[in-house]
Amino acid sequence: MSASKISARGCNVFYGDTHAVKDVNVDIGSKSVTAFIGPSGCGKSTFLRSLNRMNDTIDSCRVEGTITLDGENIYDPRVDPVTLRARVGMVFQKPNPFPKSIFDNVAYGPKIHGMAKSKSDLRDIVENALRRAAIWDEVKDRLDAPGTGLSGGQQQRLCIARAIATHPEVLLMDEPCSALDPIATFQIEELIDDLAKNISVVIVTHSMQQAARVSQKTAFFHLGELVEFGDTDDIFTNPSDPRTESYITGRIG
Amino acid sequence: MTPRSRSLFAADPQIQSRKRADARFRLYGLAAILASLALLAVLLGTVIGNGLGAFQQSYLTLEVELLESKLDKTGNRDIEEIKKVTTFGYDPLLTAAAERLIETHNIQTDLRAKDIAKLLSKSAVSDLRDFVVADPSQIGSTVSFDFLVNARVDGYLKGRVTRESIADDKMISAEQLDAVDQLVAAGALVKRFNLDFILGSDASDQRPESAGIGTAMLGSLAMMLVVLVLTLPVGVAASIYLEEFAPKNRLTDLIEVNISNLAAVPSIVFGILGLAVFINILHLPMSAPLVGGLVLSLMTLPTIIISSRAAMKSVPPSIRDAALGVGASRMQAVFHHVLPLAAPGILTGTIIGLAQALGETAPLLLIGMVGFIASTAPETMGDALLAPNTALPAQIFEWAKRADPAFYERAWGGIIVLLVFLVAMNAIAILLRRRFERRW
Amino acid sequence: MGLLISAASIAILVTIGIVLSMVFETVHFFRIYDWTNFFFGSTWSPNFRGDSELAILPLLWGTLYISAVALLVAVPVGLFAAVYLAEFAGPRVRATAKPLLELLAGIPTIVYGLFALITVGPGLVQLFGEGGFFGVSWMAGASSVLTAGLVMGIMLIPFVSSLSDDIINAVPQSLRDGSLGLGATRSETIRQVVLPAALPGIVGAILLAASRAIGETMIVVMGAGAVAKISGNPFEAMTTITTRIVSQLTGDSDFTSPETLVAFALGISLFVLTLGLNLVALAVVRKYREQYE
Ligand SMILES: Nc1ncnc2c1ncn2[C@@H]1O[C@H](COP(=O)(O)OP(=O)(O)OP(=O)(O)O)[C@@H](O)[C@H]1O
Ligand SMILES: [Mg+2]
Repeated sequence: MSASKISARGCNVFYGDTHAVKDVNVDIGSKSVTAFIGPSGCGKSTFLRSLNRMNDTIDSCRVEGTITLDGENIYDPRVDPVTLRARVGMVFQKPNPFPKSIFDNVAYGPKIHGMAKSKSDLRDIVENALRRAAIWDEVKDRLDAPGTGLSGGQQQRLCIARAIATHPEVLLMDEPCSALDPIATFQIEELIDDLAKNISVVIVTHSMQQAARVSQKTAFFHLGELVEFGDTDDIFTNPSDPRTESYITGRIG
Repeated sequence: MTPRSRSLFAADPQIQSRKRADARFRLYGLAAILASLALLAVLLGTVIGNGLGAFQQSYLTLEVELLESKLDKTGNRDIEEIKKVTTFGYDPLLTAAAERLIETHNIQTDLRAKDIAKLLSKSAVSDLRDFVVADPSQIGSTVSFDFLVNARVDGYLKGRVTRESIADDKMISAEQLDAVDQLVAAGALVKRFNLDFILGSDASDQRPESAGIGTAMLGSLAMMLVVLVLTLPVGVAASIYLEEFAPKNRLTDLIEVNISNLAAVPSIVFGILGLAVFINILHLPMSAPLVGGLVLSLMTLPTIIISSRAAMKSVPPSIRDAALGVGASRMQAVFHHVLPLAAPGILTGTIIGLAQALGETAPLLLIGMVGFIASTAPETMGDALLAPNTALPAQIFEWAKRADPAFYERAWGGIIVLLVFLVAMNAIAILLRRRFERRW
Repeated sequence: MGLLISAASIAILVTIGIVLSMVFETVHFFRIYDWTNFFFGSTWSPNFRGDSELAILPLLWGTLYISAVALLVAVPVGLFAAVYLAEFAGPRVRATAKPLLELLAGIPTIVYGLFALITVGPGLVQLFGEGGFFGVSWMAGASSVLTAGLVMGIMLIPFVSSLSDDIINAVPQSLRDGSLGLGATRSETIRQVVLPAALPGIVGAILLAASRAIGETMIVVMGAGAVAKISGNPFEAMTTITTRIVSQLTGDSDFTSPETLVAFALGISLFVLTLGLNLVALAVVRKYREQYE
């Protein structure tokens, strides 16, 4: 297993007085897939969002402890969340394409980060991202059509393309398949496999099968605590904590 | 692929410039807010700075000997006889009183007593006459009387009129101002709170110092009563129908679109409607608060319907279902259960609608509530509705039109009165909302 | 029930009343005054000799010019204020600034009119008039397009900002998250995602503001002047449809003369103009709302 990309130590997250994430320690490997599972409201999304400081946008939210990316504390006052988020991208539960053309959706990140030197450069980046997101063939003839006009599964792949167009080192995915049918889900899982060859992927999912299929490591959260973290195979075949076992056998949920 | 192993801490020039752009953008937003608030402050500052003066007025105290030989030649205190003496008959009394004033206070001036008497308002003689007519037994005695001084002198005491500004003024001279200075020093000429501005009636354009806004307030009050009586029941009935009973069809759609559009029709158009329908066709009297109230009702109705519907919409359906469940008819459910719960919201909307109507001016211009001197207060309810009158904003406009700084002061003062009413009404609305705010 | 229905129908009756009351007199007017001269003539000069020229164009020009100046003031300030309130301001700033802006919106137009007449007009003359601060003599009198336009702009700021605030808040948070999650700054997110998404709604808001400006009466009566002309100079006095309606219908009106009746033709033109703007604006805003529901 390769060295850890992100590590969290003593991470606590509060919304006002609500203690949503409690003292979590976790290491996320590079070039691998880590799954977060657990019952609804246990703090998976909250913890995921603290990995690229998306929680900064919520006024009441407060994060304690340290989270490092390549050994550097991302909550250091010198760190600009803008720089961080360019390296740690995010895909959300509900597809959220911008009200722009398909091309402009994908080109958005590269443009703001000044990644393309020329128009053709930009076109290459966009095409490349759309190809990796396995949606190129479906949209290559209508790059100027609005992104909001695509089907749900296509929209989610567009959002993934948009996220990987900026070449993040880590991609955080919060239930990316919850709005999709089995075929689209399958396509996205393939895509995750493919992405993990180059970058680390963290995925929140409610589907145990999906966690088992795509991830190498799994973290099980319960009521804000990280109950168990380890190799996916171990967690699913031989959980050490009774709460994990109840959850994966369907007794908590 | 660009290799990106640079540190999170590294200051990237591209990021720096983007952050600067971000800060700039934020600054524009802040500047816009501050500019709006500054404009609000300037506006209110202007109103208060210019208008507070209207609540003070300067008075000159004179000892007036009410000579029987001038006022009641027959000496039998017959009121009809006394009334025959016009204001001209009182002029000599004032001149004599001015004479005495110069002596008692030892005023150093080359002016004749007549010119000192000219410091008084043109209303001074009629005020004196009213006093005598009201109490003829005073004839023969000497009474101490506080007279309004004219607007120039008053303006001089308030700083509005200066020695420079009167250089070409025929109404007042530098010598007169010298005398004014001495009278002020002697305590005979004082500036004090002026209740008459708040309670009084308008005065002719020669006498800004005695113009008051009380009658206009009565006019506004009468109009607001008309608006309340007409719009509240109609507005609530219309909202009940639209919110609770209306089937979804072309007609109700049309009504909805109509209501939202009526709310945005320019107010002057309602004035044209009022003129054409209420005055030209129905022959209601010009300048009558009733007509003003009718026009404002039509304008206010959409506002009240919109807010009443919102209030009724916020009553949860479970309440209706519960009422229907225990066997109430739909009418009963609405009148016994929904309406009481929506009442605070409806009331709040009504007060806000009335506040809007109170400040509306344009339609009143067309139905003749501007352009005359509303110098007498109505005495009966019928008069209050049908006799020609003006209204708060119309009176303010009328004063503004007279193009005289003394009347401008009164216009600003009138605005203070208007704003006090509006603030009070809105405060009541906010309190109501707070008091009855419910979370379902 | 019948009572309820008739109450609800009053709205329609009022509209019909408005239209009819103006249509009759307008028809009357066009019987004694050539309609082509009204719509296409270029001079407005009513007189009592019976050879009045009553063309709407110079009035329309003044109306649109003043409204444009007003929007030029109100739209940027109102929009930026809304953006700041919706996107940057903390809850405390929002809780103070919003009611204060609403206060500005609740001030009756007579107050703005007086402000234009007594404060802003003479103030501008002191800046741009003969012997004024800038040493130019561009302004002869206190009444001008600029006077009325600026003050009307101030009046419209809270109108634009509160409508835009609502509209910006209706843009789903997920779009902002999507942009921020890609490493965009707040201002990039606002300019490139939020505002384009809100654009139709904002256009609707601006149209509503324009309709307000066109129908506004007191500010122009007190600040714009009475001279009907088509000129590009904002320091000159010009006049508007609403001011002419007021002047033709106040005083001794003779309801058989074209000079009085023209007010009804002006009124119906104003009604149609603002109604058209409102209908388009409401449709645009409604469509925009549905998009994000
Ligand atoms: N913006 C917020 N403000 C306040 N509390 C919040 C906020 N977002 C989440 N919470 C609370 O924090 C806790 C964790 O929420 P979170 O969204 O992280 O759960 P989750 O594990 O992602 O659940 P799900 O599987 O349903 O998405 C919950 O109790 C939730 O109510
Ligand atoms: Mg979640």
